[in-house]
This record gives sequence, structure tokens and C-alpha cells, in this order.
Amino acid sequence: MKESAAIISAYDQACVAGTRTVLATVVQVEGSSYRRAGARMLVDELGNMTGAISGGCLEGDALRKALLSLVQNRNKLVTYDTNDEDDAQLGAQLGCNGVIQVLFEPVDPLNANNPVELLRLTTSIQRPVVLVCLFSLMIAQDQPGTLAVIEEGGQHLGNRNVGAWESLITAEAQEALLRKQSQFIRFQEDQHSLHAFLQVVEPPLALVLVGAGNDTRVLSGMAALLGWDIFIVDGRPSHANPARFEPACQVMVAKPEELLAKVPAHDRTAFVLMTHNYPYDLAVLKLLLAKPGLPYVGLLGPKKKFYRMMEELATDGIRPTEAQLAGIYGPVGLELGAESPAEIALSILAEIQAVFAGAHAVHLRDRQAPIHHQEEVRFKTVIL
Amino acid sequence: MNPIRRIYLDHNATTPVDPRVLEAMLPYFQGHFGNPNSLNHVFGWEAAEAVDLARDQVSRLVGAASSEVFFCSGATEAISLLLPGLFEGNHSPRNHLITCVTEHSAVLDSCRYLEKKGVEVTRLPVSPNGQLNLNQLADSITDRTLLICLMHANNETGVIHPLTDIALIAREKGVLFMTDATQSVGKIPLHLAASGVDFAVWSAHKLYGPKGAGAFFVRKGLVKKLQPRIFGGGQEKALRPGTLNVPGIVGLGKACEICLEEMPTESKRLATMRDLLESEVKLEEDIQVNGQGSLRLPHTTNIAFQGIDGIKLIRALPGLAVSQGAACSSATVTPSHVLTSLGLSTDKALSSLRIGLGRFTTESDLHEAVSQIRSAVKQLRQSPS
Repeated sequence: MKESAAIISAYDQACVAGTRTVLATVVQVEGSSYRRAGARMLVDELGNMTGAISGGCLEGDALRKALLSLVQNRNKLVTYDTNDEDDAQLGAQLGCNGVIQVLFEPVDPLNANNPVELLRLTTSIQRPVVLVCLFSLMIAQDQPGTLAVIEEGGQHLGNRNVGAWESLITAEAQEALLRKQSQFIRFQEDQHSLHAFLQVVEPPLALVLVGAGNDTRVLSGMAALLGWDIFIVDGRPSHANPARFEPACQVMVAKPEELLAKVPAHDRTAFVLMTHNYPYDLAVLKLLLAKPGLPYVGLLGPKKKFYRMMEELATDGIRPTEAQLAGIYGPVGLELGAESPAEIALSILAEIQAVFAGAHAVHLRDRQAPIHHQEEVRFKTVIL
Repeated sequence: MNPIRRIYLDHNATTPVDPRVLEAMLPYFQGHFGNPNSLNHVFGWEAAEAVDLARDQVSRLVGAASSEVFFCSGATEAISLLLPGLFEGNHSPRNHLITCVTEHSAVLDSCRYLEKKGVEVTRLPVSPNGQLNLNQLADSITDRTLLICLMHANNETGVIHPLTDIALIAREKGVLFMTDATQSVGKIPLHLAASGVDFAVWSAHKLYGPKGAGAFFVRKGLVKKLQPRIFGGGQEKALRPGTLNVPGIVGLGKACEICLEEMPTESKRLATMRDLLESEVKLEEDIQVNGQGSLRLPHTTNIAFQGIDGIKLIRALPGLAVSQGAACSSATVTPSHVLTSLGLSTDKALSSLRIGLGRFTTESDLHEAVSQIRSAVKQLRQSPS
């Protein structure tokens, strides 16, 4: 389950039990850290923690800060300097070199737009949106917190009064959506400044597995851990049987020509054709090639199968463009020396992760640059 | 009989607590009295939060990271932790310290202590207007020099040393640099990170905070060079263990916050008043400002009234609180070591008064002070005893 889903579920349980909660959000990171901005953790008044804001070194203090913010019923910003090699408690432990700003917000269940409800909104809406979080590095100042969800076109969903900066924040949110990149803005007016963390939240990746054989059972089980939306389609009712798969998977029986009406097919969808039925796979591929903008179509099987498909498509007059070919991954998967179904599933999932993250699948030790994208942490100052 | 109106003009000795500082401190004596190291309850968490905020406020004023700021009882304690701590924690052959003759006795006495322990100490002279010769400083550095310890602003004359230039010299030669910033923090801009200082110390009570609280700065990564001098529960990264003085720390934090905000206007106002005071008093004959011509603190002046015994002058000014030098040494009749270091004769040093204006000094206070000083000077000169 994804972190946000786990947090929302823990929050719902807490509400039923009448337990009060605090949402902790990493709103800014300078330098390196285990979790990036946008990492969240829900703390309840009994001290239960769901999610994580660090590799574990900050959680102890964060728990106390969360409980204090609950007692004071006040949002709170706390700075953790894991850069501090002189500090035996924080620094050196993890070998991180970062200054991490964590915002703590007591969650008011009576407020329909409280931070967890806004988080829920970002996960339920099937479009990219921006989650707006405002804070001040002057720790004694009021911390506005998680206030709004903005979608393309600038419409505010669940607005909790963004305040005087609304039009500027809306404009910056549009830019964030355009770049598909979270933005960090510092608004400066005279001596006062306010920081905005505009987090781009994209809908979860949709994984469409065409073919419901036993290898799909393994693959879908592993994919479920990643929190992706999983669709499994097969022409055989005996195979496309929900009882064979994780409850999170949507399993359906369909002929190739019915497929696209039943599953998503957009720029956040990965298809893997693995029916072990050549004509069925080919028929689906033909349909997908008619659909522009699909970033990932994986073909299970040897290179020979891929060439044969291309030849047969050509005899039908279908010649994939360069861009289309770039999105076809045949044979599917990374070279990991995979043999068993689980190993093959790992290689496929690793490839999909890399493609959608725009990453080169190489050893991290061979990279000179930091693990996390630097451009993600672009700070921009807007002087008013 | 009307009580004498007393005007306090000794702000280099100490300052009154700003009412806003007092207000911030009060809750931490009773309601929020917790120990910041109590991890198990709200009392402790509240106190820890107050200390975190104070550390943030202090670090902003001095241009440091909050992780580089440590709380203690004041500058003297900090100097006593840092100077011996650095030499005792040093395992290299470096065994030489460079300081200056005009330092505060907290530094000079620590140096004498270290000298007894075998540390070689060089005490640089100053020019007649209180300035260091930076070439001489550079020339004094040897491959055995561990530390340069020079104050930011002098407590008697207000003369300011060029921190950044000194730090540059120290860096070039691989020598550490510590500064006593007691008189300058909150009075003039200070950016420790940018200036290249490695250690700095200061007290809350010089900047309208409470007595018994202070802080020191240790540049990131240098804590391990210091041998702890006191032992206990590990507070302040074990450099200054002991339960934190939370009300004092809160007061220091608030005082720093106010200074950061008001320093630009306050220093301008005080410099204007100080300059006026000097020019008005100099209308009398044979008056000389010690350290004049140097960059000085905006609120401080040190004036030699030639031919007049300073103590008699002070007695003739019952409505003014001014002093003959550092508060620590004013019980003795020996002349100020700072003024004699400037080349003043014993008589001239003893004829000098330090006047320190402050946040609550009004223009009417100033005019009253000028008129009292001038008439006292006239009177003493007319009837020499």
C-alpha cells in the first residue's frame, strides 16, 4: 500500500476510535536525506506512527514534537540538521548531510478540508494536482500548513483559505503542473517571508497486465506492494478469475477489441502483454499502436517474437513511428539474470519504475550525481 | 528634598532587562518550568521547544546555524570552557596562543592559567587609538600557533577589531580564531559564518537580557577539538552540561530577536547621541576621546579629562552612573590596563571616564549628562585640591 493510502487508512481508523492525530510532512530538504519533501507520517495520541519522515533517526523526536503540537493544538515547524556531525544524537548516525524541515499539523476531524482529507483528495482524483503547503522558517510564526489542492486550470478543490497569496500560489501551481515538478517558493514581503511547498501529486501508475496466467499472479502480487492501480485482462474466464489475484487488482474478461474500453490508457499507464497467446498479444499491440502517448508497452517473450510482430504489422501496413518504438519494450524487463517467474516480475517492475521515473537503470554507485534529482529542489524567490 | 534623578550611562557594564524580554521569560519560572531534557512529558517538551526557539533567535542575530550555538551562563564561563578546553583537547605540537593586551580579564586570566600549563602566549600591543597592527599579527603566527584570540569590540573604548581580516589571516595560516563578542553582539552587525570566526562568546545582560545567561559559538565540526571542562548529563553536546537555565535562555533569545530588529535604528540613534555628547563635552578644554579615529561601538565613549582625577569627577556627578573602566576592576585604583595599553599615562588613564549610552537613554538624559559633566569639569578645574 502506498504511504498516503496507509496514512489515510490509519486516520480513518483513528477517527472511528476517537483518537486524535497529527500529520507530519517533510516540507523542505537541503542537502541529502533519506526521505524527500512530501514524505509524510501520521502520529496518533497513543504514539502510533504510520508512514515515515526519515530512515528512523528523526522519528523519536518527531513523535514528541507531534504530541506537543497536539497538546498545544498548533501547527509547528521543526528543523532537523542531520548535517551536524557534532551532534551524537542526530548527526553522523545515518551519514546524511541535510537540513530537513518538518511541519506538524494537528488534524481536526470536524474540518472537511483538514490536511488528511486534502491528501485523500489528491489520491482519489484521477488527475495530476498540486497539494499546497505553506510554512514559515521563522519557527515562532504561525504555520498555515496544508491548505489546498489545485488542479490544472487553477481550480481550487478543498480550499482552506490560502490567504493573501492565493493568486500567486495558483500561478506557481500551474507551472508546477506544467513541469510535473514540485516547486519550492519563498514569498518575500518586506521583512516577512512565507514558504510554499507545491507538491505535484500524480495519480498512481496504472499497470495493465494482459494475460492472467500464473506468472501474472506473481507479477501482480509484487506490483500491489508498489501501490499501483492494477488491471488484469484475459479472454479466458478460467484465468481472469478475481479469486486468483490480490484483492487490489481489477480482474476482467475481455476480447482484445474490448480491452481499451475497460482499462485506462494514458501517459501514466504501463501495459504488459503476457498472454502467451501470440494472436491475442498481437491484436492488443495493434490497438495500442493506434493510441498515441503510451509511454510503456512491454512484450513478454524473446526478441524473435518482437521482430515477428513488427513484420506482421508491416504486412498490415502498420509501421510504428520512432516515438512509438521508443515506448515498446520487447523483450520486457531489465537484464537482471531473471529466471523464475518472481525474478522475471522483478525485472519487469524495475523497468517500469525506471521508465516512469525517467531514470537510467544503472548501479547507483556508478553515479557521480546525488541519488535524488537536484532540479526537484529548485528554490524560487518571489519578492512582493 | 527631591531624590536625585539618576541617569544610567554605564551600558557597557550591564543593561536593564527589556520589558519585552522579561515578559517572555516569566512563564518559564512557573507554568512552563519543565526540564528540556525530560523526554516523557509535555512539561519537558514545552521547555525544549522554548530552548529551540531561543537557539534560532540567537543564531539569526549572529549569523550562525542554530546547531553552532551553545548556551551557558555568560561570556566568562564560555571563555573558561573554550580557551583551556581547546588547548587541553589539542594533541598536535601546536602550543602557542596569540592575544592582545586590551582583552578583557576573562581572556587575559585564562591566558595566564594556560601559560602556567606550558602554553606560550603572545600579547600583541595596540596603537594609541586602540588598533591592532595586522602585519604584526600575521608575523607573530608560527607553525606552533593553535589559536588567535582577539575581542570584537573593546569593553572600555568601544574600539572594533576587524574580525573578517583577522579571520582571513588565521585561515591562511591554518590557525583557529576565537573572539570575545560580548560588547558587540546586538550592537553592531555580526555574521559569524561569513566572517570566518571559529569560536565566539557573549552574554545576555549586555544586550538587555538577564544576567546569568549567555551563549557561545563553535563552528560546525570543531566540537571534537574541545576537551570538556565540566561533566554531567551531556547537555549542549556535553560542552556545557547541567540543566539548562530555561528562563535565562528564553530571555537571551528574545533579547537577540529584539536586537536584530531594532539594531539598525538603535545604533544610528545612539551614535548620533554619542557624537553629540563628545562634541559638547569637548567644548571644555583639554578633553580627549580615547580611541577616537578608530571604528568604535556606536553607544560607547571613553573620555580623558586631563588634570582631573576621574574618581573626583564621578563623585561630582551623583546623578550619573558612569564608570572609570571595566566593572570587574573598578574596585581598585590601578589605572585601566586598556588605557595604559593605548599609551596613556597613569594620571591620564585615571582621569578617563567610560560613558555607555543605551536603549532607554533619552535626549533629555543626554543633555542633562552633558550639562552636569561640563559644570563638574569647570568646578573641579577652578578649585584644584
